Amino acid sequence: MAQARIPNRSDNTREARIGSGARVRGRIHGDGPLVVEGQVEGDVAIVGDLTVMSGGNVEGANIEAASVTIAGALQGDVSAKGPVRLVAGARVRGNLRGSAVSIEEGARFAGRLDCEFDLPPELTNANRSEERGRAGSRR
Amino acid sequence: MTTTVIGAGITVEGEVTTDEDIVVAGTLRGKVQAKEGVTIESGAVVEADVAASSLVIAGALTGNVSAVERVDLQAGARVIGNVKAARVTIADGAQFKGNVDMDV
Amino acid sequence: MATDVSIIGQSTRVRGRIIGTADVEVNGFVEGEVAVSGAVIVGVHGMVGAGVAGRRIVIRGSVRGDLVGVESVTVEEGGRVVGDVRAPSVAIAPGALVRGYVQAGETDAMPAIARVSESAKVAPAPAIAVRSAAKVQAPAALVGASGRHAVAAPVSSARAPMAAQQSVPVSTRAGGQTQSPAPKPPAPQQATRQPPPAPVVPALKKVRGQMAKKRER
Repeated sequence: MAQARIPNRSDNTREARIGSGARVRGRIHGDGPLVVEGQVEGDVAIVGDLTVMSGGNVEGANIEAASVTIAGALQGDVSAKGPVRLVAGARVRGNLRGSAVSIEEGARFAGRLDCEFDLPPELTNANRSEERGRAGSRR
Repeated sequence: MTTTVIGAGITVEGEVTTDEDIVVAGTLRGKVQAKEGVTIESGAVVEADVAASSLVIAGALTGNVSAVERVDLQAGARVIGNVKAARVTIADGAQFKGNVDMDV
Repeated sequence: MATDVSIIGQSTRVRGRIIGTADVEVNGFVEGEVAVSGAVIVGVHGMVGAGVAGRRIVIRGSVRGDLVGVESVTVEEGGRVVGDVRAPSVAIAPGALVRGYVQAGETDAMPAIARVSESAKVAPAPAIAVRSAAKVQAPAALVGASGRHAVAAPVSSARAPMAAQQSVPVSTRAGGQTQSPAPKPPAPQQATRQPPPAPVVPALKKVRGQMAKKRER
């Protein structure tokens, strides 16, 4: 598989961009930020921000970035140090992990959200009656 | 203090405990423990033991009632159960079957 | 005084469940499920220890259970949910905390649709299970359409694209037009024009119809 590496830029004024007519098959890694308007098939591992524009399509098993904003299509597991945002029109399938995961109304998504946080103590222990209800099935 | 309202069209099944007023216009099955007043409106169906500071009943209640202060059955009330309170009034038109204990 | 909106006050605790046909707002603590055919609001101080099912659900407090909305589920900033979330429209605000499986929008081949029907007493289950068949259907439709067809072939099984990728020739042309007529199979996004996120796309309807017919047999 080909590997595309984003050159290390001292100033991040110019982002790396995969244009709408482009198609990359292979792993993308580097600093970023990276804007995808075309097709990417492969993992993405960048230090900077990843943006998938509305015409873009990313299919990777693993996608890592500082932050991820998706307006287009993405399939894969996303792991961001910062926020993960799905805006209206996005079509995403996979698991999302980030400091804050948000999904706008109008985005389509199927997958898991993995956020580290605690529920209030009243809900965290078995401090509940036998009446759990069928809707309360839990993994 | 806010009021808990169990409106018509809603059924609560279980034990309800609260520090505030409760108004029941829907259905409640279980048990009620309120620090303040409980109002059972006309049309409501309550199948529960109720303990409160005071009760006003205009609907249907099946269960034992215990109030610190008073229990008032209004016209249209249908109560089956024992009532224990310092003061009890049963209005004309109220239906009641049970014991009344006003032992202070 | 009784209104259509029931309110479980902040100092009220229900060791049981709440069901019905009206709207309910929970600002206290409900240990069991809340399953109504109206709207459900779990206020900032509200806590629900089991699932929530309703037509429209808004969570500002905490829920430990699945959220199933017939129309929509919204988790606002400050809301905390541990459980699955399913609705045609799902909004999770920045600052909302959700941990679980989320399904927003109707997509084909979504797993565990059956769980929706069992959990939501009043919410109808959009039972669509066309996974395996859709896999077969989609590639044919796409190949014929030379990549421009906005077939909402399910962004479904993750396995299919991986397997198909190996057989698709590499075409990396930076800056050029993507003319390749051999698109990745379940990749409706081939089209430069993004289809609107409509819940039902004509081609999708057709696939579903065929599946429904097959199931009836």
